[in-house]
Amino acid sequence: MVKTVGIDVGTGVVKVALFEVEGDKNEWIGKRVERIRKRDPYKLAEDTMDDLLKENGLTRDDIAYIATTGEGESLEFHTGHFYSMTTHARGAIYLNPESRSVLDVGALHGRAIRIDEHGKVLDYRMTSQCASGSGQFLENIARYLGITLEEIGELSQQSDDPEVVSGICAVLAETDVINMVSRSISAPNILKGIHISMSNRLLKLLRATKVMEGDVMVTGGLALDTGLVATMAEGVADPKNKVNVTIKSDPDSIYAGAIGAALWGGFRYEKLQELGQLQEAS
Amino acid sequence: MSVKEIIDRCEVLFEDVNFTSAREWKDAKPGRKVVGYLPIYVPCEIIHAAGMLPIGILGGGSDLEVIHGDAYYQSYICRIPRSTVELGVTNRLDFIDGMLFPSTCDVIRNLSGVWKLMFPEVMARYFDTPQNYRKDIGGEFYKNDLRELIESLEELGGVKVTDDDLRNSIEVYNENRKWVNKVYQYRKDKPWKTPSAEIYLLMRAGEVLPPEEHTQMMQDYLAAVENEERRMKDNCRVVLNGSFCEQPPLGMIKSIELAGCYIVDDDFIMANRMITTDISTEGDPLENIANAFLTDSMPFPSKFEPSEEEKGLYLADYVRQSGAEGVIFAAASFCDPALLDQPLLYHVLDDQKIPYIAFQFAENSGQMQPIREQAGTFADSIKLWSAA
Repeated sequence: MVKTVGIDVGTGVVKVALFEVEGDKNEWIGKRVERIRKRDPYKLAEDTMDDLLKENGLTRDDIAYIATTGEGESLEFHTGHFYSMTTHARGAIYLNPESRSVLDVGALHGRAIRIDEHGKVLDYRMTSQCASGSGQFLENIARYLGITLEEIGELSQQSDDPEVVSGICAVLAETDVINMVSRSISAPNILKGIHISMSNRLLKLLRATKVMEGDVMVTGGLALDTGLVATMAEGVADPKNKVNVTIKSDPDSIYAGAIGAALWGGFRYEKLQELGQLQEAS
Repeated sequence: MSVKEIIDRCEVLFEDVNFTSAREWKDAKPGRKVVGYLPIYVPCEIIHAAGMLPIGILGGGSDLEVIHGDAYYQSYICRIPRSTVELGVTNRLDFIDGMLFPSTCDVIRNLSGVWKLMFPEVMARYFDTPQNYRKDIGGEFYKNDLRELIESLEELGGVKVTDDDLRNSIEVYNENRKWVNKVYQYRKDKPWKTPSAEIYLLMRAGEVLPPEEHTQMMQDYLAAVENEERRMKDNCRVVLNGSFCEQPPLGMIKSIELAGCYIVDDDFIMANRMITTDISTEGDPLENIANAFLTDSMPFPSKFEPSEEEKGLYLADYVRQSGAEGVIFAAASFCDPALLDQPLLYHVLDDQKIPYIAFQFAENSGQMQPIREQAGTFADSIKLWSAA
């Protein structure tokens, strides 16, 4: 088996996954996630990978293929780069082989991806430039409400009377939230309202990619937001949304891009070996 | 000289829309003349033989604000004539003594008339290359065209152009083309050592420098790059097609490569390698220049292809010769020659099962995310799902 690394440089977080791969067999042997927090994301990605390798008693020379995804194409030491849709699709299949679509919800945008059983991308739709369907927006709201990111999910699920916010514009939505705070609306009801708005946008993306059934794997940083995942599950149960799917998440969903990169890296390593181009590219 | 030093110099030349280096060349000796030409092709040997500096006018680039130029063209016309007019009316081309407008398309042809009206003091000529390749028909036509060009340049410079002058310039450009081709071949062999943004800047430098200086620059670049340690990445190899006139922003070339595609062949600047063999210095030099175009010039959309069966086959040949795995069509918005040819080229690629994608750009396109997305997914589809 050969060792491969997947590095997913996101807008807010760097994720690194370490795998052993051989043909269809693979073993996940290490992972690490770091919030960027105003640091240089590329330096952070490099340091995070080196720390993970050290933790596993390895050096870069032990790695057959270093694959990047997300914004990681500028990392000079990578062997190959894969587009984030490709890696999230593969990561979703790894986390749940029954996945037939992916909702990748990161700090900057959301994306619905329809895939086949091999992780091949069949269709996709992204949110527009507006950030109201994104993790960054949710982070801003958490800051206004004086709560931590980890509290969002649980608080949202305590809601009894959610307040609807603008589903289109982050600026308007933030104004809505400020008004709600001044009207003494509780944090759970505000958060649930935001989750409903985000969920509606994401389910629209799913419909646009013609995902009508099967498992939808939520990936990206917001897969850990239990409130958003629960709200999406409620959304798909609502017949008016016309999507007969099952929303799934995994505690490791945030690593989907890095997992996909590492696994595709292993695939490419073997392919290059077949083509006799291995020495040059490794 | 290091790669960085060479490319930094090229970048300065590329970004300079005041053409300082050409101005300095002209000012260095009294009586020197500069002749500008638009894409795709003019025989620079003839301008050089007249003792003049030929420089390529390839639009205003990504940073030039076009204000006046827009007033001259409808909204469905590409950007290069607008930014060229802008360069003219803002006196950035006021040192240029002559302008040649090749038979690239109606827009470039008609720009020659616009130029005559706007700048009557400047020699402006429509330069027509033949669309018939028989020596007794297209050849005769082209020789007459070249003779007229020489007469215009003689009048402009006040100096007779002799056959020996022409032979000397043919040699200079044969040498220049040899090194252009060496650079392109080197990139096909080792694309990870020669990023396309560097190759592009190197070729753009040749559009404003004297050919002798450009040849030396390419020699220095290849020597420097050979000694530079650069890691090969697991990128797919693509041929880029359709950017032969209006030039893409440098960011687009970088984005395509960053997204995982090595550009192993392109048609960004064709004037410097249009002629595919050495032009003979024996016999009548004018006839040799004319014949080289008739029999040994690259195919391009503005050149008539008499055989329907042959149309576009060249692109599949480029793919094979460069070991490419796919084609990226990147044409300027509203570029008639590129966009009208595309369906025919798709047909050839479909027949030969060569994958491709297409997008359009303008020289001032700023948003590269959609291009990264298309190029990135294209690279992934080749690397992960192709049969090879």
